[in-house]
Parts: sequence; C-alpha cells; structure tokens
Amino acid sequence: MLRIDHLTKIYDNGVHALKDVSFDVPDGQFLVIIGLSGSGKSTLLRCINRLIEPTDGRILWNDVDITAATDEELRLIRRRIGMIFQHFNLVRRAPVITNVLAGRLGYTNPAWSLINHFPREDKQKALEKLARVGIRDKAYIRADQLSGGQQQRVGIARALMQEPELMLTDEPVASLDPATSHSVMKYLEQLNREDGITILCSLHFLSLARTYADRIIALKDGRMEFDGGPNEIDDRRFRDIYGEDAVRVEIS
Amino acid sequence: MTNQDPAPSSRGALRRLLVVLAIALGAAIYAYGWNATNISLKEVQDPIRQASVSRALRELLSPDLFARSRTEQVFNAPFAIGCPEGEPEPTRRDDLEGDAYVIFSPGCADQDEVIAVEGFHLPANAIASIRIRRESGQALPFKLVRADGTVSEETAFDVDNSGYFYVQVKVPRGRGISNQTLPLEIQTISPTGWPRLSQTTKNVVEKMVETIFLALMATTLAVPISIAISFLAARNLMRQVHLPLGNVLVGFVLLPVGGALGYLLLGPLGRLAVGWGKDLWLGLISPVVTVAAFGVVARLSARLRLGGAGHRVQALVMNLLLLVAVVIVLGALGGVFIWLGEQLTGNVTRYLGNFVGTLGQLVDFTIEWIAALGGAIIVSSFGATWSAIALRTVHAPLSNILGAALGALSGAILLAFTAYIGTQAVLLGLLTAIVAAVLGGQATVLAYERLFRRPSIMLRRRRREDVSAEQAARSTLFIIGAVLTFLFAAYVLDLLRAIVDERPPSGRLMDLGLISVRVYIAQAALMGAVLGGLAGGLAGTQTSFPLGMAAYNTTRTILNALRSIEPLIMGIVFVIWVGVGPFAGVLALTLHSIAALGKLYSEQVENIDAGPIEAIQSTGANRLQTIVYAVWPQIVPPYIAFTMYRWDINVRMSTIIGFVGGGGIGFLLQQQINLLRYNQAGVAVLAIAIVVSVLDYASAAIRERLV
Repeated sequence: MLRIDHLTKIYDNGVHALKDVSFDVPDGQFLVIIGLSGSGKSTLLRCINRLIEPTDGRILWNDVDITAATDEELRLIRRRIGMIFQHFNLVRRAPVITNVLAGRLGYTNPAWSLINHFPREDKQKALEKLARVGIRDKAYIRADQLSGGQQQRVGIARALMQEPELMLTDEPVASLDPATSHSVMKYLEQLNREDGITILCSLHFLSLARTYADRIIALKDGRMEFDGGPNEIDDRRFRDIYGEDAVRVEIS
Repeated sequence: MTNQDPAPSSRGALRRLLVVLAIALGAAIYAYGWNATNISLKEVQDPIRQASVSRALRELLSPDLFARSRTEQVFNAPFAIGCPEGEPEPTRRDDLEGDAYVIFSPGCADQDEVIAVEGFHLPANAIASIRIRRESGQALPFKLVRADGTVSEETAFDVDNSGYFYVQVKVPRGRGISNQTLPLEIQTISPTGWPRLSQTTKNVVEKMVETIFLALMATTLAVPISIAISFLAARNLMRQVHLPLGNVLVGFVLLPVGGALGYLLLGPLGRLAVGWGKDLWLGLISPVVTVAAFGVVARLSARLRLGGAGHRVQALVMNLLLLVAVVIVLGALGGVFIWLGEQLTGNVTRYLGNFVGTLGQLVDFTIEWIAALGGAIIVSSFGATWSAIALRTVHAPLSNILGAALGALSGAILLAFTAYIGTQAVLLGLLTAIVAAVLGGQATVLAYERLFRRPSIMLRRRRREDVSAEQAARSTLFIIGAVLTFLFAAYVLDLLRAIVDERPPSGRLMDLGLISVRVYIAQAALMGAVLGGLAGGLAGTQTSFPLGMAAYNTTRTILNALRSIEPLIMGIVFVIWVGVGPFAGVLALTLHSIAALGKLYSEQVENIDAGPIEAIQSTGANRLQTIVYAVWPQIVPPYIAFTMYRWDINVRMSTIIGFVGGGGIGFLLQQQINLLRYNQAGVAVLAIAIVVSVLDYASAAIRERLV
C-alpha cells in the first residue's frame, strides 16, 4: 500500500505546488489524478519517487518511509517504481533496445553498465517486453525514428524492465492523438489487470479517466478537490475541479 | 484635463539639452581615448617611416619561398683604358665564348668615362656585372650609370630572357691601369634547373608541423580533463546534489585521512610495482595475476549476498581491493613503459620509446599521489554513505552537538589548508579570509534562522512576498556576517601588512609537542574551528547541504579565473618551469584549453533535455549511470564540434605562443623579424595564413555537419 501523508511542496521560488495532500492507494488500484495544468499533478507523482524533494509530509510505501530514505536506499526503492512521461523522455540518439535496457540500470553491475554491457537474460527480457508492446521489430532502430505512440510504448517497455510494483504515469497520452491514446491506455490497463501493478496516472481528459480508472483524485491549486469513483463526478463537481468556464471535451 | 504636463516645450528643451550633454560627454570620452592611445598623423606621414614600412611590406609580400641553383659564368674581352693615338673607334664588337658577343661604344675609354655596353646571346635571365681585372688579380667593378647621367652604387644588372642587355657604365679609376689593355670580365649568374623550395620554406614547414602538433597535443590533453570538469560546472546536474550536512562533514574530514592512508600504505606498493615493471617479465606477469586475482575475488563477492551493514563493508573492501589492483597494474605498466623507453633507441623506434618512456615516468612521479587520491575518495565516500545511515536516527540536540564537532574539525582543516596555500603567495593569503567570510556569513544566517524563525511558520501559509522578503533578509545577513568575518580574519591574520609589504604572512613556528606549526596556519585553523563549529552546531547534521552547488561555484570560479589569464602569460611561466620549447607551449595552451573547454562543454550540458535524466534516475540508476545514459548521448555532437573549434583556436594561438619561447612557428617568426629578414618572415606569415584558414574552413564544415 502507498500512503501519502500530509504531503506539501513549496518550490524555491515560493510556488506552493502541493498543500497538505493525504490519501492511500491500495495495491493493484488504477488511480487517475485529474486537474488543470499547474494543479500539482506532476509534482505529486514526482514526489513519490523523489525526483522532486517534498518540503513536508511523508510518503510510506509498504511501511517504508520513502521521504527518509538515503540516496542508496532511494535507488533500491526507485527501481521497483516504474515511471512513464508525457514526452516519453527517451534517449533519442540511442537505439530502442538501449533505451529499454536502461530500465535495468538499478539492477545491473554499475561498472559493466558504464560500457553498455548487460547480461544476456536482460537483453532477452528487453526483446520480450518490446514484443509485449508490439514493437519487437523496432529494437535496433534509433529511438527518434519512431512515431509518438511507438516511443511511448518504448517508454512502457523500459518501465516494465524494472519489474515494477508501482507505476507512475505522468500524462502518458497528452502528446498523442486520440486513437493512439487509447492504445497506450489499454497497455496500462493490461499491466494493471494482468500483472497487478498499482498505477497512478495523471490525465487531462475526464472521459479517458472515466474509462480506465478504478478511482479518481482531483487536484486544484495543490489541494485535493475530489476523491471517489469514476462515476461520481457530476457537472457540479466538474466545475469545481476545472473552474466555472470549463466545457467538457470528450475523447472517444 | 486640468493636470496636464507643464509646458511641453520646456520638456522638449530639457531633452535636447540632455542629448547635447550626452554628445559632449561622448566626445570627451573619445578625445581622451584618442590621446591615451597616441593616435598621431605625424608619424603616419613621416617619409622615412613610409619608406621603411613599404620596404618591410614589400619583403613580407615577396616571401622567400623558392630557390634555384645558380651557375656562374665569366666572359672575357680585352678592353683598352686610355685610347691609343688617334680617334677612338665609335663601336667595337668583341666575340665571346660560343655565339655571345658584346658591343662597346665607344670601343675604348679612359678612367671615369661613361661607355655603353650592349650584349647578345648571353645566359638568359642572368644577373650580370662588368669588372676589369688588374695584373695583381684585383677586380675593379664598373658602376651603373642611370638614364639621367648620374652614377649609382649598383653594379649588377639584368640580362633579359633572350640573353640581351644594354647598360651604361662608368669605367673605374685605379692606380696604374691607365693606357693598358686589361682583361674585362662579364660575370653572369644565371638560375638553372627547376625551382626548389628554399631553406626558409623547409624550416617554416618543419616549424608549422610542430605548431599543428603542439595545438593537437594541447587540445587532446585538455579534452578528458575538461569533460570531467564540465559535469561539475553544469548547473542542471549539480543543483540536484544535496546531502545532509553531517554526511558532507564526515566525508570532508575523512578526505585527508584517506589521502594520508593511501599515500602511506599504497604508495610504497605502487613504487614496488614500478620496480617490478622495470624487470619486464615481473612487470608483465604481475598485472595479469592481479587482474585475475581481483576477478576471482569479485566473482566470489558477488555470490555473497549480505544485507545492511555487511553489504556496505563488503562494498568498502571491494573498492579498496580495486584500488590496490589499480595501483599495482598502473605501477607495473609504468615500470614496463620505462623499460621500453630505455630499450627502444633505434632511429624510428626512438619516437615510440620516448613516448612510452615519458608516460612511464609520469606514472613513476605520480603513483603515490594516485594512491592518495584513490584512498581519499574511497574512505571519504564510504564515510559519507555509512554516516547517512548512522546519522539519520540522530536528532536534536545530539545532532547539533555532533554538527558542532564535525563542523569544527572541517572548518579547521579547510582554513588550515587555505592558510597553507596563503603562505606560498601573498595574494592567495586572501583566500583564507574569503573562505572564513563564507563560513561566517553562513553562520550568521543560521543563527538568525535558529533565533527568529519557527519551522512551522516556514511551512504553512507562505506567500510569495514572504519568500522574497525572507530571501532578502538572508542575503543581507549573509553579507553582513561575511564582511565582519572577513575584516576580523584579515586583522587577525595580518593580511594588510602581508599585502602591502608583499611578503607572505608570518612564518613563525609554534611547537605543539609532536609537530610544529606555523603560527599563521594555527590561527587560521582555530578560526576555522570556531566558525565551522558555530555553523555546524546551529545547522545540525540533518540540514540538507547543497554539495552540488558548492562544487559548481568552486569549479566555475576557478575556470573563470584561469580563462581570464592569456595563454601568453601562462606560456611565460611554463617557459621558466620547463625551458624554452614547444613543451612549454603545450602546457600553456592545455591549461587555457581546459578552462575554455570546461566552460563551453558545461554550457552544452546545461542546454540538454532534462527528460531523459528524469527517466534514467527514476529507474534507480546511480549518478554515473545517469551521466552515461542520459547526459552523454546528448552532448557528444556538440562536444566534438567544440573540440574541433578549440583545436582551430589552439593552432592560431600556438603561432604566437613562440613569441614568449613556447615553440612552434612563432619562435621562428620572431627571430626573423628581429633580424629584419622580412622575406623570410613573409614565408612564416603565409604559412600561418594558409594553415589557419584551412583549419578554420575544415572545423566549420565539421561543426556544421554535427550541430
């Protein structure tokens, strides 16, 4: 179980990104976080694996305090938490297979990995993961030659290499077209259902959230505005979250 | 509109006045500049100077590139000085060797008379001169007479390409040659064969090759160091590096301890290995055995899966063993290189022998220091990670007490070290006071936070204005504390006297039982202990310390200081150290390139996409892996481009580094200019222009392809 406990983040420039956010995520849940741009979704996800240092509050994962971990312990925690990004964050000049193998960096011998040497099992596994997201044939192509949807699937394969128990996905479909968006979301759903990976996913579109989420959390100005099932968001709640002027945009 | 601007015309007048004033001020500045730089038209118009400059330019632009072999021929014709009785012949033809002939008009003449000489079928394009040979064998030259009838000092004239010449010459005067028929010699010096490169050109080419390699060596030596430094000088990488203060202090205190242990324990081992290497066989076997042994131990250790503290001890032992192996292998190879250097003395192998021999000597010189550096890094980083676990459970007030103790130790070490540097040179003495000032400023800020700020307020309900107000308060306090500490330190350490009298600070020794210390260093250490203890105690071991930014600021400051010193000045220092020659130039350009490339590279690192870094970090990769997988692929093309650019700059700089004795073509150029041999200097200038423009073009082409 993941427990977020009075989490607060104030950036150095005084921006108050998260204000006393607390919630629990049971293992195996597909949790979608919605909210406007700048509402603190990305900050929340990045605080969980401490890509951003929280200012106050604690994050407990299976009763281990992530916020108190030393650098060394944090590395061991991070390798069990996969992360997927809006802009894919691949090393564009490297081949796909290297990008996927990078998911094993937390496990391999650091000295060997520095000269780009990975055990044979890892290479085998990388090809399996690529096959799973349907781009086995692209393994030896440079990452920047792929389309957006394919790049995001490389991102998923990289995260899968970590054998994660928890997956943080930061607006995974915001750079993709509607059809590709659904295909990527389907992969995430599959990981959640078949592998039992807990997923925390931030999304812009309420319609996507409703389709895939077990539970939705809404952030507004760094505060929790809503926490409940996907069907509990009615028009009033929608306006609370997105503001009075908001119009629903459906993505089919 | 009752409150309109009062009289717009007066504002317009004011503005005009301001413009006039600005123009007047500008004129005054330029007038001063004109005087300060001695711009003078009188010198420009001086005819003597104009004549010299046109000569120098003409010679520079007629470079002594080629030479041909020359043959000298002498043609004989009898000539009567003082005509015999009667009218002189109006013209007289004299057949010379082959089909060459000359016509004198008139056919004979007395001393100081002017005659015309016309020659046919002589060696084409020759430089010729006419002289008469006395019975004693002495030659008297005929001086040329210009078209206006005046006599010049020149005796040489040109034969045209059909072998014809026409000159008017004056018959020379000499005792006892009157009324005699003497042999007249026409000497021709004519170029024969194909033009060859002149000796100057050969020298210039040789020096130009030296120059290009000088630049290449400087660039290649600088690149690896600059790459390492560039990561330290990149804000985006270093900003994230924070460590609890306690760990930083433990690591810092352990640095000299580890260094001393490495030097004392592993240094002798390294020296021993160098000795083995000189035996060759032992030198070849020992690295192999060492690597194999280390491999076996590493394999065994990998099977051993210890948890918690055991794992850390295992990591420490493995790191220490790795260091031992590295020292042995490096030492033995160094020894083998020295041996090779002594063996390879053949004509061609000499080059290789010299190269590896020098590398071996480098290892020989530095093996103890390599051991010390390795020991310092391993012990310090182990201390820092170990204390991360140990210090986590420590809370106030114990954390503050520990912080004070560690801070006092670190402060003492830091200031003692800077004070030691200060005893070497007067200006560096200021460093002690500056470091003390930083510590003092930090302590002031911490004291303020301790006394007046409650953490609970800090976290809740902080508005942006509060944040900026607080930042301002902190900066002000920092400056006040820093200035006060600086003044205090400067007073205690007697820096003013040291700087005014240009003598390093007090060198009196103080006996402390086991060791004796300079009073100045002891004072600095004491001051560091107080300030460090204060800061460490107030902050406690848990405070997050921006280790990365500290490293970033230090690196940037050093780079900027180094970059602002011209390579020519560095060249002067290195010429004193290693003597006149290209090696001094290499060292000077290397040092400057490290500073320049370090900055250029680090700016490239700062410009990379942060996304891959996030992604790689989130997989649990360590810092080195993050650099190799997320940073390195993004910076390779700009790094290559900047390296090419730097080589280009270094070639240009190495052409002038010779002016201070740094070798290369500049050395030759300076000699030729000092000897007023502008024809030969012209060759060097031409060579520089060609090489620089070719490299400029090539590096531009390569950069365009990469960036």
